[in-house]
Amino acid sequence: MSDEPKIKIEGEKFKAKDRVRADRTDELYKDIPEGSTLMKIDNLHVVYRTDEKETIAVENFTLDVKKGELISIVGPSGCGKTTILRCIAGLLQPTSGSVYLGDKLCTSPGSDRGMVFQDFALFSWRSVIQNVEFGMEVAGVPKEERHDRALRYIKAVGLEKFADSRIHELSGGMKQRVGIARALVMHPAVVLMDEPFGALDAQTRNILQDMLVKIVEHSARTILFVTHSVDEALYLSDRVVVLSKRPSSIYKIIDVPGSRPRDRTSPEFTELRKTILGYLEEQNVME
Amino acid sequence: MSVNMEFRYDKHNKYHRLARSIVIAAISLTVMIWLWWMISIIADKPAIPTPYDTFVALIDLFKYGDPIHDVAISVYIEASLKKLVQGFFLALIVALPLGLIMGRFKVLREFFTPMIEVLRPIAPIAWAPIFFILFTGADGDTTWASSLVVFIGIVFPLMTNVMFGVTKIDPVTLDAAKTLGASDLQIFIKVMLPSTVPYLMNGIKIGLGIGWMCIVAAELYDGFNPGLGSYLSLMISNSSYEQAFAGIILISVLGLLTTGLAEYIHKKVNKRMGVDM
Repeated sequence: MSDEPKIKIEGEKFKAKDRVRADRTDELYKDIPEGSTLMKIDNLHVVYRTDEKETIAVENFTLDVKKGELISIVGPSGCGKTTILRCIAGLLQPTSGSVYLGDKLCTSPGSDRGMVFQDFALFSWRSVIQNVEFGMEVAGVPKEERHDRALRYIKAVGLEKFADSRIHELSGGMKQRVGIARALVMHPAVVLMDEPFGALDAQTRNILQDMLVKIVEHSARTILFVTHSVDEALYLSDRVVVLSKRPSSIYKIIDVPGSRPRDRTSPEFTELRKTILGYLEEQNVME
Repeated sequence: MSVNMEFRYDKHNKYHRLARSIVIAAISLTVMIWLWWMISIIADKPAIPTPYDTFVALIDLFKYGDPIHDVAISVYIEASLKKLVQGFFLALIVALPLGLIMGRFKVLREFFTPMIEVLRPIAPIAWAPIFFILFTGADGDTTWASSLVVFIGIVFPLMTNVMFGVTKIDPVTLDAAKTLGASDLQIFIKVMLPSTVPYLMNGIKIGLGIGWMCIVAAELYDGFNPGLGSYLSLMISNSSYEQAFAGIILISVLGLLTTGLAEYIHKKVNKRMGVDM
């Protein structure tokens, strides 16, 4: 995103020294019970300013993320889903508004908000296991421990035979497995996923969705998942946030009943999908 | 049915491809030597010896050393290589940090670019007379003066390649490192440096080729200190043209070896870094 427009900064500027560099940040919030608010996204505004004009990309985005839930953000394409996620990750300074983890204001990217990227963002000069170890390496986890843990997660994503492979030897689906392992192994307080399966073919996408469901069932994680696929959002999440068109703000929040793994062909599932697609359709008509 | 005994070229066979390129290269060189031979016979001038006489002179050169001072040819080769290596490492020490910070900070890039653009078109050898005045040691040692010419030749391609490498880093990998908690220093060491390596290697490859040309050119100015260039000018001023041509062949072979080595390392590094360039 080298041609990112310049942003008007009103709030306090992000500082590199605030960056959280720690392993297992989820333990900082272990006093917060499951189902209570873990992350508070408060009144996020993002204004892009180019030479001639200002564009409001995100307006008034407020959301409470509960501990242990998987929450999806869907919306019309180009509505600023990724912008919101990048603000939460601390990669983009919002024009105004704030993100709190527990009662801590997030002012920089850090290992407490792990991220999985659409185009994988792997380190091509490192092997699979070295990629997974990166976060623990910078956090100063001892060599033995980080090797063992990385191997455990590589197994969990089904890549045990490829631990020492180089990234260019992997398929897209395998690359994203590495991306997921690299984020989860750090035990971040929140995992942000930016259309993680968007670049994959339909079949691989389904396989990885099931893998994610399994991992989430196995260890409680708080996940914020951005996707353009309503089907994917319903299949994975506890709540679905539907965004409005630009400037994006929350249009509707839908609770998804039933435990995972879900049946994509069940009548409730189909009904919910119809409802959400209807909301998205309304967005397009409103223009 | 007839038995098919003829050789069929298979372009998917690694050995066939290798054999093919060797055969073509051999034909190419044969044609070149034949042309050289024709020219030397037709011109019939002592300044153009035949390939045969040159070959004999080359053998003698290795056997008996240079015919004027009786110095072994290895002394000349060693002296030239030493200057090349000196100039190369000096360029590396200067170009690597400069290239990195110019790639990293736009304002420094904008500050240094005009200087570089003004200096770059000047042929490195044009600096030689000044360097020989300024950097000839009290004992007449010109090693550093020649090394500096090499330095000028190598430093620009090295610096611009490193700078380019830094600006070409995929910003998403930087984002990934940040969300994994890496500090700015850790990002610099663990992400920026490694992703610049293939570009650095490319700069080294180009630089060594230029550096090798620079060293011979600089030594032509210098008939007093050993080096392949000074050997060349010594032989020519002595009208020993066969020996001079033998020296030219030596320069070519050594140049090929240097760049070949750099090319080989470049390929290995790229493969290891997962880059296709």
